[in-house]
Amino acid sequence: MSEGESPGLSLGKCATCHARFVPVDGPCPRCGSGSTEAYSSVGVGTVLASTSLEVPPPGWSGPHPLALVEVEDGVRLLVIPDPPLPPQGTLVEVRADGALYRAKSLEHEGAKRGEGDVPEAGASRPPFEPPR
Amino acid sequence: MSVRVASVGVGRFGKRTEGLVDLAAEAAGVALEGIGRKPVDLLVVGTMLGHGPNGPFAVLPRLAGRLGLESADGLRVEAASATGAMAFHVAVQAVETGRATRALVVAAEKMTDRPTTTLTGELAAALHESEAAHGATMPGLAALVSQRYLQRNQLPASVCALATVHDRSMASRNPNAQFRTLVTPAEVDASRPVALPLRLLHCAPISDGAAAVVVEKGRGPATVLGLGQGFDSLRIIDRTDLTTFVASRLAARDAYEESHLTRKNIDVVELHNAFAPLAFVHLEDLGFCGPGEGPGWFERGWVRADGRLPVNPGGGLLGRGHPVAASGLAGIAEIAAQLRGEAGHHAIARRPKVGLAHSMAGLGVQNFVTILGEVAR
Repeated sequence: MSEGESPGLSLGKCATCHARFVPVDGPCPRCGSGSTEAYSSVGVGTVLASTSLEVPPPGWSGPHPLALVEVEDGVRLLVIPDPPLPPQGTLVEVRADGALYRAKSLEHEGAKRGEGDVPEAGASRPPFEPPR
Repeated sequence: MSVRVASVGVGRFGKRTEGLVDLAAEAAGVALEGIGRKPVDLLVVGTMLGHGPNGPFAVLPRLAGRLGLESADGLRVEAASATGAMAFHVAVQAVETGRATRALVVAAEKMTDRPTTTLTGELAAALHESEAAHGATMPGLAALVSQRYLQRNQLPASVCALATVHDRSMASRNPNAQFRTLVTPAEVDASRPVALPLRLLHCAPISDGAAAVVVEKGRGPATVLGLGQGFDSLRIIDRTDLTTFVASRLAARDAYEESHLTRKNIDVVELHNAFAPLAFVHLEDLGFCGPGEGPGWFERGWVRADGRLPVNPGGGLLGRGHPVAASGLAGIAEIAAQLRGEAGHHAIARRPKVGLAHSMAGLGVQNFVTILGEVAR
């Protein structure tokens, strides 16, 4: 663990609407309430999607990995995962590194993927009536 | 009060040697010719990046001067990649209220004189700062959305090529399109990875270009029937479902409601798919198809010029090109040209009565829907 990184993950909790969110030091992003408090999460979650930017974004070098992770209570975080790129469904541990979130896989190489995946809300949406 | 599109002007998209104001003046000139140089009392201009002669400044007065519109009112708007659609909505509202009688709307972007990495950085400035800080870019976030869409619907990544192949085929009929050559699914799938599942040919190109439209009081084949827009959270982490754009659904709901029409009345559509698989998401969000059905619409040819719902008859963002601010207005201009019977070689098989143009800012942060057509009598 390098400087700036700390174990666990600090999340915000809103006393008014009970939303959980990041960053912890602002008002609730859902209802705007100022009565929020920080709590510590183990920071374990599932990769919803991941990709690698082949052309590095400005200020970064080499292929740049990105993943969207859902940790407990539905909080979603955009993270920079440690290599190799964890595919969808991978169980990861998220940690704060300054203003950034990073994540490492909790699964050993060759483990079966996809078991812990979180379906999108839209997966259960009823089909539309076809036009005409 | 009815407002109609009286004329349109779209210049050639692609790599152009002219500057921002020249491109804007060229498209505007065509639109003004289209109304026989009748007087215009409002000029609405949109550009996102603002790569003008003095950077983002003084684009509006320069253009007004070039067009001889010194006595008109002038407004400038910005809504990232939906700038052109916002400019149109602003002009329609001004004419609707009677503040203006005839408005010229122009949206232009100059992009090809900057290196790709510079542009990627400028476009990423439209994302939330906390996500940009992680190195997120538009293609990066669009890749995450695309992956969720494919996974939710159990579709292979190969379906993404369908939207590119379609747009390029439509663009081959449009003399103003950036890409006039066809591509095969194999060529799309062999293009270099940008952010998998997205490859180079799944992504809209970097383009220069401008579009212009004149709106005025009155009725015609391209009367404004409904306008809608919607916002969504700037941070993608705040969205509970990545496989839909709430902003599109809100915009579509408002536009359908105002027009007293449903998706069943729409004869032609322009979609804002800067990334190929987003075309499938947009077809769902606008109510045309059910979850995961989009690729089937492309496979069966339903979106072709002679299909049940022609999509992107001008080539869309992947074929016509994507000068970011201009795209939203180019889509509206395309629908108006189809309705007015002025689409030339890219006219769809049967002249439409009602058309819909969809435009998206950023990754679905502020989306616009515009429905044009004949007024039911």
